Amino acid sequence: MAADRDADRAAAPRRPPEGGSRFGSASGRRWILLGITLAAVLAALTLDASLSGLVPQKGGTELVLRFFARALRPALDYESEVPDGTAPLWMAALAAARRTVVFAVAAMSLALVGGVVLGFLGSSAWWAGAPRGGNGAVQRAFYRGFAPAVWAAARVLIVGMRSVHELLWAVLFLAAMGLNNVTAVVAIAIPYAGTLGKVFSEMIDEAPRDAALALRASGATNLSVFALGLVPRALPDMWAYAFYRFECAIRSSAILGFFGFPTLGYSISASFENLHYGEVWTYLYALCALVLGVELWSGALRRRFVA
Amino acid sequence: MSAAHGGSGSSSGAGPASVGPRGGVALDLAALRRTKPTSRLLRLSIVLLGLLVVWAWTAGDFDFGDLVSERRAENVRRFLGEEITPYPLRETGFDQAAFVEWAKTLWDERGRRGVAATLSIAVLAIALAGAMALLLAPLAARNLATARPFEFGAARAARGPGWRALTTAVRALLVLLRAIPEYVWAFLFLAMLGPSAWPAVLALAIHNSGILGKLGAETIENLEARPLVALRDAGATRRGAWITAILPLSLARFLLYFFYRFETCVREATVLGMLGVVSLGYWIQDARSKHYYDEMLFFVALGAAIVLLGDLVSAAARAVLRRAR
Repeated sequence: MAADRDADRAAAPRRPPEGGSRFGSASGRRWILLGITLAAVLAALTLDASLSGLVPQKGGTELVLRFFARALRPALDYESEVPDGTAPLWMAALAAARRTVVFAVAAMSLALVGGVVLGFLGSSAWWAGAPRGGNGAVQRAFYRGFAPAVWAAARVLIVGMRSVHELLWAVLFLAAMGLNNVTAVVAIAIPYAGTLGKVFSEMIDEAPRDAALALRASGATNLSVFALGLVPRALPDMWAYAFYRFECAIRSSAILGFFGFPTLGYSISASFENLHYGEVWTYLYALCALVLGVELWSGALRRRFVA
Repeated sequence: MSAAHGGSGSSSGAGPASVGPRGGVALDLAALRRTKPTSRLLRLSIVLLGLLVVWAWTAGDFDFGDLVSERRAENVRRFLGEEITPYPLRETGFDQAAFVEWAKTLWDERGRRGVAATLSIAVLAIALAGAMALLLAPLAARNLATARPFEFGAARAARGPGWRALTTAVRALLVLLRAIPEYVWAFLFLAMLGPSAWPAVLALAIHNSGILGKLGAETIENLEARPLVALRDAGATRRGAWITAILPLSLARFLLYFFYRFETCVREATVLGMLGVVSLGYWIQDARSKHYYDEMLFFVALGAAIVLLGDLVSAAARAVLRRAR
C-alpha cells in the first residue's frame, strides 16, 4: 500500500535524535493520542451526535434485516417483471462491471501521463542538485530562476488538482457540460494525476542517490543523471503505487454511477431505490470481485518488485 | 526496496564487474544484461495494461463527437460566462464590496456550519475506525493469533485450526469492510438510520477500520520477532505481550497510517454530504439542484480549503511522530 511505503520512509531516522527535543519518543505519541481523543469528543459535541441517533428509524430495523438477509443469497434474476428481451441479470451486472473497468482504466491512463509529467516537474532532483555556478549566464538563469519557478508552479497545480474530490470534479463538469462519459473519466483523472504527481515526485526525490552520484562524478549531464540514475531507483515504488491507485480508480469509477454514469454505482442505487436488495448484493459482490481482483494482481506484482 | 528480484542473481566468484588491470573497474555489459533482474509477471502485466488501455478507449463507451458538439460548447460558455459569476455581480460587473458581502452571507448562513460538520464527521469517524482497528488487528495478525506466538520460519505455519479459522474470519471481515466503498455504506446507513450525521460517520468508520485493521495486522506481523520470543519465553501471555510490548512498538507506525487515512476522511466527509448528511457536500448538492452554480463553486472551494487544512494537520502530526522515532 501507499501508506506502507510512506511509513517505511518515515521509520528510517532522517537525522540523529536530538537530545533536547521537546517531544521525547514516548511523549510525542502521548500528546497525539490525547489530541485525537479530545478532538473526537469535541467532534461528537459539534455534531450533536447522541447515541439515540444510532437507533434505526421507523421501519429501519426491518429494512436492515431484510437487506442483510439477502447478503447470503444475492439475486440471480431480476426481482420484478422486466420487458421481454431484457438481458439476464448476470449479464447486466457484467456489463456494468465492464464499464466500471473501462472508466477506471481510461482515467488511469490519463492520470499516469499527467502524474509522470507533474512528478518530474514537481521533484527537485532535476534542478536542485545541479552544479551551481554552471557555465554561462543562461545556464545560471535556468537553474536559479526558471527551474525553481517551474517546480513551484507544478507543486501549486498538484495541490489544486488534489484538493478537489473526483466526485466534485464530476459535479462541476456535469454543471458545465451535462452528462457525457468522457467527463467522468476526466473527473477521476484530474485528482488522480495530482496525487500520482505528488507521490512520484517524492519518490524520485527520496530515491537512493548512489547511482546518481556515481553518474554525476563520471561527468554525465543532469538529464542523464535524472533519467538513468534516479528514476530507475524509484521506478519499482512508482509502479507499486500506480497499481494501488488503479484499485482506488475502480472504486471511484463505481461511485460515479451514483451521479448517472453507467457504472456499478448506477445499478446499485437503482436497485436499492426499488427495494430489490438481492440485486444490490449481486452488484456489490461484482464490485468486491473487481476490487479484490486488482488487489491480488497488484499484490503479486508488489511482492515481485518491492522487497 | 531493492529492485525487481533476480531470476538468477549474480553468483559469487566471477561477477560481471571485475577489477581491471590498472585498478579501475571493468564492466562486462553483456554479463550485466544477462543477469539483469527480470520478471515474467511484470512483463505480462505491462502488456496486459497496454491492451486494457487501448480497449478502454475504443470499447465504444465514449462519445467524443458529442463532447465537442455545439450544444456542449454553448453549455460551457453559459457556465463560465454567466452561471459561476456571483449572483449580485452579474449585472454590475466586479465590485469587491458586493463580492465580500455575498461570500460573508454564504459563510454565515451555511458555510461555517458545513465546515464544522465536515471536519467533525472526519475526526469522529477516524477515531472510531482507529479504535475498531486496534481491536481487530491483533486477531488478524498471524504471528500473534496462533497456538504458539512469535514463531518464525517453518514453525510459523503450524498455527492450530482454531486460530487459523479465527484469523481467516477476521481477515475476510476486513476485506468486506474495505471493499465496499464508504459512499455505498453511507447510502445504506442513511436508509436505515434516517438523516443525521451518523450515517456518514459510521460509513467512514467502517470502511477505514477495514483498511487500518489490515495495515495494523501487517505492522504487527512485521515486528522484529526476537524480542517478542524472549518475552514469550520469559512467560508473557498473549495479552500481556500485546499491551506491554506489541502495542507500544507498533503504535508509531499505526498512527502514521491513521493520519494518512484521516486525510482521506476529510475528503470523503465533504462528498458524503451529497447524500443528505449536513456536511459541505449537502450544500453543494443543494446549490446544484437549484442551479445556483455560483454558490456551488463557493462551497466546492471551501471544501478544497478544508482538505488543505486536513493535510496540514496530518503532516504536522506525522512530523511529530517522525521526530519521536
